[in-house]
Amino acid sequence: MDDRRQRFEALALPHMDAAYNLARWLSRSPVEADDIVQDAMLRAFRAFDGFRGGDIKAWLLTIVRNCWLSTAAGNRRRAHASLEDQELPATEASPEDAAIRAGAQRRMDLLIAQLAPEFREVLILREMVDLSYREIAEITGTPIGTVMSRLARARTQLRESAKDVL
Amino acid sequence: MSCDHILATQSYLDGQLNGAESDAAERHLQTCFECQQFAAQAADLSDALRNATRHPAPEFLRARVRAALRREAAPSKVRAFWWGAASGGGASALAAALALFLFLPPSAASLAEAVADAHARALTSGKTIMVASSNHHVVKPWLAAHAGLSPPTTDFAAQGFVLTGGRTDTIAGDKAAVSVYAHGNHELDLFTWVAKGGALPRSTTVRGFHTAFWKEGDLNFAAVSDMDEAAFQKFVELARE
Repeated sequence: MDDRRQRFEALALPHMDAAYNLARWLSRSPVEADDIVQDAMLRAFRAFDGFRGGDIKAWLLTIVRNCWLSTAAGNRRRAHASLEDQELPATEASPEDAAIRAGAQRRMDLLIAQLAPEFREVLILREMVDLSYREIAEITGTPIGTVMSRLARARTQLRESAKDVL
Repeated sequence: MSCDHILATQSYLDGQLNGAESDAAERHLQTCFECQQFAAQAADLSDALRNATRHPAPEFLRARVRAALRREAAPSKVRAFWWGAASGGGASALAAALALFLFLPPSAASLAEAVADAHARALTSGKTIMVASSNHHVVKPWLAAHAGLSPPTTDFAAQGFVLTGGRTDTIAGDKAAVSVYAHGNHELDLFTWVAKGGALPRSTTVRGFHTAFWKEGDLNFAAVSDMDEAAFQKFVELARE
């Protein structure tokens, strides 16, 4: 009956992990990531007829990123305390102190979470999702040269802050 | 970082350059201390980033998304009925066949084709290597981080098969780690991917590419190359030891 849905599920659902990982790293909140991914999957399904083949993963991640941007804009308007702040115990003198106490994984996670969004997203797309510069440029809607310089800055910043881990 | 070539070096390390650009970046890297430092630090950082969390989608979210998609698709049922009636259900049957095709495990014969295709595709695009290194301490963690499995990356340089790097590739829909070896002018790809049952093809030659398949533990292996058959067999023996 609804073969369009089946076709969409067969193509899109294998990329749920990549979509969720990106949403989680962009929003830094499990609750928001759930909503972003569900929203993105529905938007993608509605726009599926306009998808003319090509790389469905990159297409989906572009939608995930757009959904995150609209959620992030909404959050700024509401100006509520974000979950990431609650994750850090109030007794820690600084995020760096908290990082040192945690295990290597937690430490890397915290340091990545502290990167500015425009640096964090290129780093995640490159190092975790393993996309090419061209794909990252398309997803983020920035020139490829900007992707390269942001990636270099992201790595330099992370290396500086992760000195004790490396 | 003040060297003008830092971004080019980074592109080279990320496997984003093609033949001539890649050669130029490699030549520069051999002479520039600053870029060498950058390369070493980038490798350390890549290793450290393997410690960072990859968040898989929670099961309940998959269920929630499926349910939402079903709800979203439901109103169109009436339209689909009329459309299906008008077209004799041909389009639905085609889509159903396509969906079935996507879920079928690859047959043994198509697997040999897939491996030869992947190898040929990499050769013609000049993108056989994403991480260039003869050091298995570099290649192995890179593959583990990017392919999600840790393949053997033993260097057989003494036996004439030099480890030159690695990349990730896709074999019939499964992510595979590829260790790349050079033998004279010939290149050999050793694919490793997670075994999910299903028969592996016998060793065969596909369009001039020798292929050999074997399984070890929960991993499938496939070697593919256009080198002469005796050398190819020798490599397979070494790799299987």
